[in-house]
This record gives sequence, C-alpha cells and structure tokens, in this order.
Amino acid sequence: MNIRHNVALRHKLAAEYVLGTLKGGARRRFEGWMHQDADLRNITAQWHQRLAPMAEFAPGVKPPKRVWSGIERRLNLTRPASGWRFRLSDSLAFWRNLGVASTGLAALLLVVVLTRTLEAPSISYVAALTDDKTQTAVLVTADSRRRAIDVSLVAPAQPAADKSLQLWAVPKTGAPRSLGVLGDKRGRFPLPDNAISADVVLLAVSLEPKGGSRDPNGPTGPILYKGNWVRL
Amino acid sequence: MSIDVQPPDPQQLATWLRASGNRDGAAFRSLYDATSPKLFGFALRILHKHELAEEVLQESFVAIWNNAAGYQSHLSAPMTWMTTIVRNKAFDHLRRSDVTVEIDADQFDRDVMDALHDPQATPIEALQMSGDAKALAWCMSALEGVHRQVVALAFFHDLSHSEVAEHMKLPVGTVKTWIRRSLEKLRTCLAKREQA
Repeated sequence: MNIRHNVALRHKLAAEYVLGTLKGGARRRFEGWMHQDADLRNITAQWHQRLAPMAEFAPGVKPPKRVWSGIERRLNLTRPASGWRFRLSDSLAFWRNLGVASTGLAALLLVVVLTRTLEAPSISYVAALTDDKTQTAVLVTADSRRRAIDVSLVAPAQPAADKSLQLWAVPKTGAPRSLGVLGDKRGRFPLPDNAISADVVLLAVSLEPKGGSRDPNGPTGPILYKGNWVRL
Repeated sequence: MSIDVQPPDPQQLATWLRASGNRDGAAFRSLYDATSPKLFGFALRILHKHELAEEVLQESFVAIWNNAAGYQSHLSAPMTWMTTIVRNKAFDHLRRSDVTVEIDADQFDRDVMDALHDPQATPIEALQMSGDAKALAWCMSALEGVHRQVVALAFFHDLSHSEVAEHMKLPVGTVKTWIRRSLEKLRTCLAKREQA
C-alpha cells in the first residue's frame, strides 16, 4: 500500500496509532513507514500533542515518598554523604578505619612534603576533590617529570560491585578527557599532555558502569567529586 | 484553599528536562516534584491499583532520566513526552502481568466534564491543567457523549476497535466510524482554538 500521497489516510493512521486502536501487523507496518518518512513522523508527533493531554484529565495524586527513594536508588542519585552518615551511626569499625586512614593520610602528606623538599618540583599539579558537602574525598597529584598521576581515595565511599569511579580532566571548553578508572583506593596513571594544558582547570570523579564510561566524549553517570587543578 | 497550585510552566519543564539530560540531579528532582502528581494520577486512572501505579511511575522516571538527553522540544511539549512514556510503561505492565483492570467509561466522562467546569467551581482542578489539556477538554465536550467515551476507552485502556465494540455493545463498524469522525472533529476544533 502506498500512503505517501494520501494525506487523509496518513492522518487517519497516525491518529489511530497514537490513540492505540491501530494494532498488530498494521501497527508494525506503520512504524516501518514512519522510520523512513520524516513527514509522517511529524504528523504523528502532532497527534501525540493533540491527544496526550487527555492524561491530564485524571485528577492529580501525590505519590508516596518511597517512589522517589526508589528512583534515587535505581539511578544511583543518592549522595555519597548519606554513605558517611550510615557508617557514622553504623559501627565501631568506622572509627578504627578512620584512625588508620588518618594515619595513612598523614604519612602520605609527609611523603609528599619530603619528596617536594628532596627533588622539587616533582609534584607539579595538585587537586583536592570534594563532595557536595565540601568534604575532601580524593587527592590527586601529578608529577610532570615522571609523567604520572597519583590518586588516593580518602573517603570510604566504595562504589557498588557493578560500578567504577572514573577520573576526568575537565577543560574550559570541549569534552572532558578520561585520565583513568580507579581500581582501588590508590591509583597511578600515565599523565597525558592534554591533562595539564592551560585550559584544564578542574578534575572530577564520576560514577560509571564497571570499567568506565562507554561514552568516549565524557561521563555518563553523576559527578561525585570535583576540585580545582592547581599548578604548584 | 491555597492558590499556589499552578500548572507546571512548559518552558520551565523543558529547562529541567534538558538539565536532566546533562545529569543534573537537582533539576531532575524539581521536574519530579512538579509533574509526579499529574503522572501518578494518570497511571492510577489506567491501572487502578496503587502498587502497580507506583511501580510504573518509578520505571517511567528512570526512563525519563535515561532518555532526557534525546528529548526534542520542537517535536513535543514536556508533558506530552512524559505522559507518552507513562502510558507505554503502564500498558507494558498490563500486558506482562495479565492483570485485568476495571474499565469505567463513565468515570472518564466525569473527569472531562469536571475539567470543563467553571474555574470558580473547582479552582484547583482548573488550575492544575495545562492550556493544552483545557483546549482538548473543551473540544471533547463538543463531541457526543458516547463518541467521547469510545475515544477515551481506547486511549486509557489500550483497546482495539473490536474490544471497544464489545465493551460498548456496538457493531465494530460503528465504533470505527465514530472514532474516525471524532478524531477529525478534534483536529478541526483544536486548530480553530489555536487560531483564535
């Protein structure tokens, strides 16, 4: 059947497609036509626009709070801060770990300071990435002589088993550049030139599917931490 | 009764939708707060069961977040785009779960007529509807009652011509003709209102 030149039929089919009465084989055929016919897609979009407001005739009902909590959970929108709260109220182990982490952090800073004194200026860039409560969560240093980036996770927030944390250099314009996917609490990555070019002012860590973002042009998940990339 | 229940401004919704496409969680939350009562009411009207409607609303907002980057404002208003997602998810659920829902054409007719009432009589309902919905309600009220019911049955319950015919105890040919004519009338009526 050729519907290209039958304007009335095109409208009738599009309207019944949107209403739902076009079913089975006829519906699939129509979808096939739409695929290669921009005008038919337009006509159909107009019919959606005409009929969809019927949805608003039903009186509004406020959904219970658990609906939003479920959405947040499914999309991983919950802030890392809630992880902190959970752990704080949760266990003694947290405080022990915090003690260990603080000692570790102090030791790391000592190393940084010592290294700087001994062979300055080997650490040439530094960023302290904070969460939305401005708690420092990730420390990043770059050594331009050894061409390496070192990353240390300070916050105890560990991603779920099917997720990874990914580090990005964010330029003033253009797409973020991936620096690497964090495998553990510590990571060392090669330092690419475009990570320390003058237009990179910010580093960020995003939550991604295991193994990192599938999108070569940037993160697909929420940004958890960010901080200024400072030249020393 | 407070007067601050405004219909969500389509421009504002489109802005939040675009921001959600850029992974802005705060904008997504605002979008949810502004539209979830209407969308939940719609899901309830299709599914009747609270638990099922909650599940569908949740799935719909997950889909809205995941597809927001592909939303094209020149093709559809934000509410149109979102209600289409909710409607598809609701029908998917019904097909999967084998649940039979109660079909109540009279209830729909009361909704349309309420939607048309003098704003003085039902201030909140009148305020909560978008301009598009008010125009459509007005044009649907110009249809004969039984024609309006036939259109609504198909829209809210995913029925075929023959299913509508069976439900209304009418010949299929009659249902087909009524639906075709009603849709033509709605198009003409909405176009006139747009020009006016």
